[in-house]
Amino acid sequence: MKVLNPLAETKKQETKINQIEKIEKISLINNTKPNTDTILKEITKNLNTKILKFTKPAGAPAPDHEIQKASQANLCILALGDCGSCTTWLILDAIRLEKLGTPTITICSDKFAKFAEELAKAHGASNLRIAKIEHPIAGLKKDEIIKKTRQTIEDIKGFIR
Amino acid sequence: MMKGCGCLINHQPNSLEKINLDFYQKKFTDGLPIIPPTPERVEKFYEYSSRDPEEVIAVLPPRNGEATIEKIAINAVMAGCPPQLMPFIENTIMAIADEKFNLAAINATTHPISVAIIVNGPIADEIGFNCSTGCLGPGNLPNATLGRALRLCLINIAGAIPGIGDYATMGSPAKYTYCFAENEDENPWEPLQAERGFPEKSTTVTVIGAEAPYNVNDHRSTRPEDILDTIIDTISTAGSNNSHVPGEILVIMGPEHAKAIATEGWEKDDVKDYIHENAMVPSNLADRGGRALDKKHVKDEMVKITRSREDVVIVVAGGVGRHTLVAPGFGGSSKSTTRALKLKNGTYATSIKDYNMREKRE
Repeated sequence: MKVLNPLAETKKQETKINQIEKIEKISLINNTKPNTDTILKEITKNLNTKILKFTKPAGAPAPDHEIQKASQANLCILALGDCGSCTTWLILDAIRLEKLGTPTITICSDKFAKFAEELAKAHGASNLRIAKIEHPIAGLKKDEIIKKTRQTIEDIKGFIR
Repeated sequence: MMKGCGCLINHQPNSLEKINLDFYQKKFTDGLPIIPPTPERVEKFYEYSSRDPEEVIAVLPPRNGEATIEKIAINAVMAGCPPQLMPFIENTIMAIADEKFNLAAINATTHPISVAIIVNGPIADEIGFNCSTGCLGPGNLPNATLGRALRLCLINIAGAIPGIGDYATMGSPAKYTYCFAENEDENPWEPLQAERGFPEKSTTVTVIGAEAPYNVNDHRSTRPEDILDTIIDTISTAGSNNSHVPGEILVIMGPEHAKAIATEGWEKDDVKDYIHENAMVPSNLADRGGRALDKKHVKDEMVKITRSREDVVIVVAGGVGRHTLVAPGFGGSSKSTTRALKLKNGTYATSIKDYNMREKRE
């Protein structure tokens, strides 16, 4: 019996990932997931750069005007991908920014990093920068989040070097 | 996961069991047996499509799979669909691809959201979709297989494979199949497609992101407000997405409830307004855990679970009995979408026979 393959072909796409160069201005996109604020504060606390802050819905795209403003920075950090829909829309928003020429780093929990990488790959962005933080994040106390963010900061330093 | 499967089946090449095991192991199925998609079976579906098999009608996330007529038909065969369901499946796929539906998030989320399909109109009736007793239960071939065909398309075209592109923490039984017709004959108000601007005699599919439905048993109330208060109390829960990101809810109102309300002079919009105004959750419950609740939704320390009358999606369905079903939605980032079954020339299809391309050629 001959049977046909149900698996679809994927749409071919290519997204250029921008180099991180001199950082004078960083935009932060916070998707309002619990403890994201603490993570972003910890990452940027010792930085001597101008910071632009934005919030966006977790399970939906950032508004166009926000992406446009965030793209004015030399680097955009997006957080936090600790579930399926929020990871999806951080990665898709990061790709929108990369397409506008802005380098990005997206912070995802280690449990969703593989999905984030596969999603980026499906959009032709296999080199998209994804920094990890140990899952879980929600429901933890501030000092635990700060401790977990230390490893994420190392990931980010690795991307910036 | 595969333990124990191999020794239970007939390994003869090309046996039904072997094909099923092969497809299962490749993660092509929902876990239930499939009908092998032979070229002959798939070709029968082309008779009910006005498009070429290679035509891409949607690109579905997260995998960005190209939904061609051929791949949709293959998955529909596997689901056990009769070929006559092809126009419904095509329109369902195009509906979920609408940007406002936000399939990317609905497929990948940890939330147990599924995609409910509501069919309306004369062709739904002609095909035999069940809108009455047990319309969301077993025993309805069109309902069961259309919902299943969508799920298999989500798995094999969109890549919504549990643990790979679908991260629902536990999943949901509503992810196997979730499809019913509106009971237009017993609906005291205008049907869903007419409410959404389509001709009343058009046939439509509506897709809505919805959790598995939950029952509202109200055999006691006589006043519309009392029936609606029971519905409101059942849908207003702190654990739903709607409590922190208000959005659509699905109310599948039993005909007896609908008639009892309409008899007192209430229009559909009155019902929607009443539910929107009164379905709310204490903000301290909705805001727990540090999730930033948008303050614009908070009034007097309560959060409305819908943003407007339009977020209350009411469909009348079911048979005898004073029951209604309610299902929270995905929240504010997904909007239900309705599409009409149209022919290639843009006119509304009036019968499934309009689609039978072979019949036309002959």
